Amino acid sequence: MRLPLILFLLAAVIPVFFGKIRSAPFWLSLQALALAWNGAAHQEGWTVHGVVALVEVIAVRAVIAPLLLRRAIRLRGEPNADLMPSNLFAWAIGVALIVLVFDFGGAAMADAPALALGVVGGMVAIALLLLSTNHSPPAQLVAVLFMENGIAVFESLLPEPWAWPVHGTLTAVYLVTVGVGGWLIGTPTGQATIEAGTTRGEAS
Amino acid sequence: MNVIGPAVAPVGQPTRTAASGHAWVGPTLVGIALVSLVIWIVVFLRTPLATMPLYFGADYFVLDATSMLFLLVINAVFLGISVYMSSRFSTSAHLAEKIKFRAALSLAFMVAMNLGVLSNNLLVLWAFIELTTLCLAPLVAQGEGKDARRVAWHYLLYSSMSLALPFLGFMCLTRSAALQGQDLSFALDQLAATLLAHDGSGDSWQRLGFALMLFGLGSKLGLAPLYGWMPETYEAAPTSTSALLAAVQFNISVVAVFRIFQVFRVHEISFVSHELLIMGCLSLTVAAVQVMAARNYKRLIAYACVSSSGVIAIGLSVGKAAAYGVVLYIVSNAFVKALLFLTAGRLRGVYGTNQVAALSGVIRVLPFSGLLFAVGTFALLGFPPFGSFMAEMLILSGIIQAGNLIAFALMCTMLTIIFVATGRSIFPMLWGPSERQGPAIVETWVTALPKLGFVTALVLLGVYTPPPISALLVAVAQSIGGQ
Repeated sequence: MRLPLILFLLAAVIPVFFGKIRSAPFWLSLQALALAWNGAAHQEGWTVHGVVALVEVIAVRAVIAPLLLRRAIRLRGEPNADLMPSNLFAWAIGVALIVLVFDFGGAAMADAPALALGVVGGMVAIALLLLSTNHSPPAQLVAVLFMENGIAVFESLLPEPWAWPVHGTLTAVYLVTVGVGGWLIGTPTGQATIEAGTTRGEAS
Repeated sequence: MNVIGPAVAPVGQPTRTAASGHAWVGPTLVGIALVSLVIWIVVFLRTPLATMPLYFGADYFVLDATSMLFLLVINAVFLGISVYMSSRFSTSAHLAEKIKFRAALSLAFMVAMNLGVLSNNLLVLWAFIELTTLCLAPLVAQGEGKDARRVAWHYLLYSSMSLALPFLGFMCLTRSAALQGQDLSFALDQLAATLLAHDGSGDSWQRLGFALMLFGLGSKLGLAPLYGWMPETYEAAPTSTSALLAAVQFNISVVAVFRIFQVFRVHEISFVSHELLIMGCLSLTVAAVQVMAARNYKRLIAYACVSSSGVIAIGLSVGKAAAYGVVLYIVSNAFVKALLFLTAGRLRGVYGTNQVAALSGVIRVLPFSGLLFAVGTFALLGFPPFGSFMAEMLILSGIIQAGNLIAFALMCTMLTIIFVATGRSIFPMLWGPSERQGPAIVETWVTALPKLGFVTALVLLGVYTPPPISALLVAVAQSIGGQ
């Protein structure tokens, strides 16, 4: 099933080239929905595990995480800049990466896992590109979340879905990442310093 | 002069300011740490090595020599850190306000650490490493200065990026298994069996996966070139958090590296030996240069940690003869780093600065802490009679046996430079003329005991290792390919 993977990749590529930081939660939700579609397409029959995993992806990755990200971006209060700064060099590298990803997938069109592998590799590459071109913390958090969504695609490479403990732990990692990351970047640097009255050495 | 007072004596200058409503939090933290350590000691004493590995929790967890050793180490170190935190909570108004937050995160961190060390599944282990980072990042943000939150964010970012690399490595293993018509399980015991089922040498995907995993975990260990987060984070974090990072969390990354070695040693792993050797030599070189430039004692300890990671990487690259030395070095280093950071926190609490230039004659102002800092520095530099001395000798001997004289020469040279540069900064700080007037500051037995425990452990590791511990160290060394 290639369509959800392609939708997933598009939901990562479009915002990097054309999106603004404040639109990132929407694209993150779209990625999660594509992820859920991909997961559903891999199921041979509806099991309790499969349904819970689907609900978990939609609830955590498509709703809660984007809301937390949106809140962090709003609290941060930075201008609504491009997710990836629009300059020729960054665009050239970005296009080259996307071509490489499709080349990677295209070389094995009959092999769906190879496409999934290409999508995950592409997501990590896009995330690294975002990190190297935009130093704004909200954009960096978006890059981290893009990458973690890419890692979630990894499950579709496996013959069996992840067991409960693995699913639960990885979901916890994702949720805590957006929670802690949002909390850390939610206050502009300089405002979150030690409270008044604290003497040097006290925090140690 | 009696420099260690009764347990109830005030710790130096700070006044007793703990919010009375939260006074129970510190002792509770210590109590939980103590109970946890006692439980693992009992498990260790009652479980013969021959009966290991023991699988439990639907085979997601395993108790073997590696997990047993690191459970004992991290829980022993955490007990010392919790005593330090408890004492600081009771003497700092700022800390007393955040007492529940810090204690809760520290405990959550330790739960993740314990489960991570016990993990018998690479994916679960990976997730627990990430969770320990997510527990520590908010603690790093509690450090002083307006940069603390930025540094905490960088730490989280670095960790997420570096842990993406091992995940790419897992993908490579999956691809390798798929190409060979195998179903890959990430359970460590089954993973080894699957890899054994292959032709015995591993294909390119496996090798790439192995290399990516080690490179990513190398960053978590502070190995060059991805070491940048370490000095910055260790310096900006509160001292207790620096100790948790350096002396506790470091070990879960070590466990992950050991697990990968245990899985891959069925194959020829010489192709990653070069990767480890280069990262190790680079780390030692970077540390030597940076230690010379460091004017801040916390940053200096942090760069010394980078050099320690370099020594570990070189030792692992040699394997066989150096394996026991590597294990001994890692265990010794956990105690050395805890000792140094906790003592540095004491200095910071009294002097209010991390700058070496602002401190002089520490041994006269804080005789006990000054002495412990000196002891920690000597242990860090690999002096006898500490375990780190024995470990470095074993690693150097292993390098000689492997015939890698260039690595031997480089390691000796860089360690000498680090020794001279550290001594040039630290010794005047400890023994120089003191500008502070008045009697020496009295320190309590409560805060002294854990540090004395660390020193005792370090001396025992170097002079006489009790047979059960020695057997455990040997078992771990053998599991990573030691002779």
